[in-house]
Amino acid sequence: MRTPREEAIASALTVLPQCGIARLRAFVQDPDGLEAVWSDIVAGRVARVEGLGRVSKPADVAAAWRAKAATFDLDAVERRIAESGVRVLFIDDDAYPQVLRDDPDPPGVLFIRTQSLDVLHDALARPRVAIIGTRRCTNYGVEVSRELGRDLSAAGVVVVSGLALGIDGAAHEGALVAGAAPPVGVVGSGLDVVYPHRHRRLWASVADAGALISEAPLGAIAEAHRFPQRNRIIAGLSDLVIVVESHAAGGSMHTVQAAIDRGVPVMAVPGSVRSKSSAGTNRLLAEGVAPVLDVDDVLVALALERRPSASPGHDHPHPEPQIDPADAGVLAAVEWTPTSTETVLERTGLSLGAAAAALTRLEMAGAVRSQNGWWERKEEVR
Amino acid sequence: MLASIPSATLLGVEGRQVSVEVHVSSGIPGFTVVGLPDASCREARDRVRAALLTSGLDWPLKRITVNLAPSSLKKAGGGLDLAIAIGLLVATGVLKQEPIDGCAFIGELGLDGSLRPVPGMVPMVDALRSETVIVPLASVREASVVGRHAVRGASTLVDLLACLRGDEPWPTPPLPPELEGARWCPDLADVRGQQVGRWAVEVAAAGGHHLLMIGPPGSGKTMLASRLPGILPELDDAQALETTKVHSAAGLPLPGGGLIRTPPLRAPHHTASVVSLIGGGSGTMRPGEISLATNGVLFIDELGEVPVHILDAMRQPLEEGVVRVARARASVTFPAHVLLVAAMNPCPCGEGGFAGSCRCSDRDRARYLRRLSGPLVDRFDLRIPVARPDASQLVGGTPGESSVAVAARVVLARERARARGVRCNAELTGRDLESAANLAPSAVRILEHKLRIGSLTARGLHRVERVARTIADLADEDVVSDEHVCTALELRADVGLMQSAA
Repeated sequence: MRTPREEAIASALTVLPQCGIARLRAFVQDPDGLEAVWSDIVAGRVARVEGLGRVSKPADVAAAWRAKAATFDLDAVERRIAESGVRVLFIDDDAYPQVLRDDPDPPGVLFIRTQSLDVLHDALARPRVAIIGTRRCTNYGVEVSRELGRDLSAAGVVVVSGLALGIDGAAHEGALVAGAAPPVGVVGSGLDVVYPHRHRRLWASVADAGALISEAPLGAIAEAHRFPQRNRIIAGLSDLVIVVESHAAGGSMHTVQAAIDRGVPVMAVPGSVRSKSSAGTNRLLAEGVAPVLDVDDVLVALALERRPSASPGHDHPHPEPQIDPADAGVLAAVEWTPTSTETVLERTGLSLGAAAAALTRLEMAGAVRSQNGWWERKEEVR
Repeated sequence: MLASIPSATLLGVEGRQVSVEVHVSSGIPGFTVVGLPDASCREARDRVRAALLTSGLDWPLKRITVNLAPSSLKKAGGGLDLAIAIGLLVATGVLKQEPIDGCAFIGELGLDGSLRPVPGMVPMVDALRSETVIVPLASVREASVVGRHAVRGASTLVDLLACLRGDEPWPTPPLPPELEGARWCPDLADVRGQQVGRWAVEVAAAGGHHLLMIGPPGSGKTMLASRLPGILPELDDAQALETTKVHSAAGLPLPGGGLIRTPPLRAPHHTASVVSLIGGGSGTMRPGEISLATNGVLFIDELGEVPVHILDAMRQPLEEGVVRVARARASVTFPAHVLLVAAMNPCPCGEGGFAGSCRCSDRDRARYLRRLSGPLVDRFDLRIPVARPDASQLVGGTPGESSVAVAARVVLARERARARGVRCNAELTGRDLESAANLAPSAVRILEHKLRIGSLTARGLHRVERVARTIADLADEDVVSDEHVCTALELRADVGLMQSAA
């Protein structure tokens, strides 16, 4: 553990211009100590920059750092860290996750929000699976993500995800429902900057039940360049990465690449070939990634026991909703992907009135849902 | 040396009677027009002089003063030319007073002495109290629409004088050129598939419910909208006259019979200006598209591209059925009883339908739909998604029901609405709606469930009740059943206006 002063200095260093992950790591591990590093930067000493190895125009960098450093009030940063209750872990701290220390590109400093570091270590001792995917997802993706999160957590597996809208958020919602393993959220912004704002409750729940991790200092806003960096931590923390839904060129593909670079296995959930939200995942499957049809596939890949109750081939363990047999024809016409009323009319040959009445009854029974004028089958998460 | 000739000018879509007083006296020769003429009206001096000279008549070398009474009313256009010329001829004694007793004159003069039609003939004639109205020959049919006056026409000033003197009989007006597409309206039978869309159009026509269609390009939104006038009932006499007056005031050609009997369809482009849509203008106040569509359909394609201030300007006219345009000099009222039909894409890329189906992000979609203000969206009782029909339906599908069959049901439903004291169910509000709704117990249960789970608001409830009432009317049933309510729920699907997934 370092002094609060050093924590504040490390926070300040992360936002210096031209000070990336590698340089921050070098500073944090500098034998002179962080206070000496900081006083050199404040003084604008060029030798400190040159000590980092090849730097073009070191004098300019030293001047830029000096100018930026002059704007910091370390006391205020210290207070901010103390008030937030966020813990700061340095790469050489004992509490720093070993799995990240072994990473090819480990963060020099981690900011963590958790009830206790023991929770984090409990999570790190368990098998960990990243569930990731697009923000532009379908209801199918949300449901599958939620189910996987729930079932994996119930099996004692830690769900790692990015807390983004869509797939990420749904995975953690599911994990929190089961609550048998602490969830780990890795975010791109500072831990006191909730992004996306719609997920503020989810942030709090994940921090309470597990841990929230960020490489960004307090107050850092969600900038685009932070997300690929966050994705590498997600890949680095996980034993397995599952992509639930991804567009052909989505941010999830960054995580997949980071996982492949680290030798972390990747699995993908198949989707409709017509669904743009599944274009990326289906492409991964075509390239040979293992498919996730059900949580057992994941548990097997992790070399864990299958769920005791699960019987093979039974994908939907929940009882079918109670429906009127007369409406079964209409239910059969509705797909698991969004189906237009027009299609239902064509398939059943019913009049709009009869079909609408049947669909409404099915909706009330919880068998289908309607969104923006489209109908789709629905699976209740308990 | 004095003559007074009745004529009329146009203010908005209403005519105002004008007395053209011509005074001829000795003095320094000159010709002045007083009484608030606008530029085009003051130019009458030169047109009248040239027309008289080319017609072989003498120009009096006297002092001529023309007064257009009432002098507080601004007069626009060339419609007073003919009255000025006739007044001049009477004041100089070329024409006697008796033949023109009880006659009013409207028309513009050409330099060759020809009589030319002017816009707004219908409202102007409507404002006249004289027994006989004399207009350019080409305007005779238009002027006869009002029906209270004897209408006579001539094609030149020389002919007119001959007819007035009784030397020649009045010529019969020429048959108007058949307007292309005026009576022809595309048939609903051409629409393949689109059962939901067809229903929505039928319900919109029967209940006067504004309709919003959301779907990708090429899904048939325009096709559906263009079939609406064909299933709306024909205009009754009062409606026909109101619509005809607006079209006449805007200078639009009228169909052969004069009166507009088919509900008009106006489809302004989404770049239209506020004034062209709502009406107004600085000089002559012209009716906007919303008034030209009165008693008919106003179709706005690409609603998402229409500037917000224009959409919001449409809210009050839609609510009140009239447009009030106030300017410093005058304020006018235009009728605006329209059935609003709008179409838009679900998102900027146009391909989206359901969550996750296109390349637009949640944020882009939300921004696109935010352009529609809540109060405007509230005006639409019917909001439906329109998807591209299946190829097999386009090629091999059976033709749907024809417009004639649908129109018969619409007439029936409108009659049921009239029995409730409203023109259509869209006008049902508050207590009237409550008593008219007459919901079956099973329908009440569904609505209660929807309210309880929060997918229906109190305001939405009224909309559903109104639409369900119309659907029951179309089926000729007194009680609104659960099927009617479910169909209504289906037709007001909050397309793309709700949160997306997660």
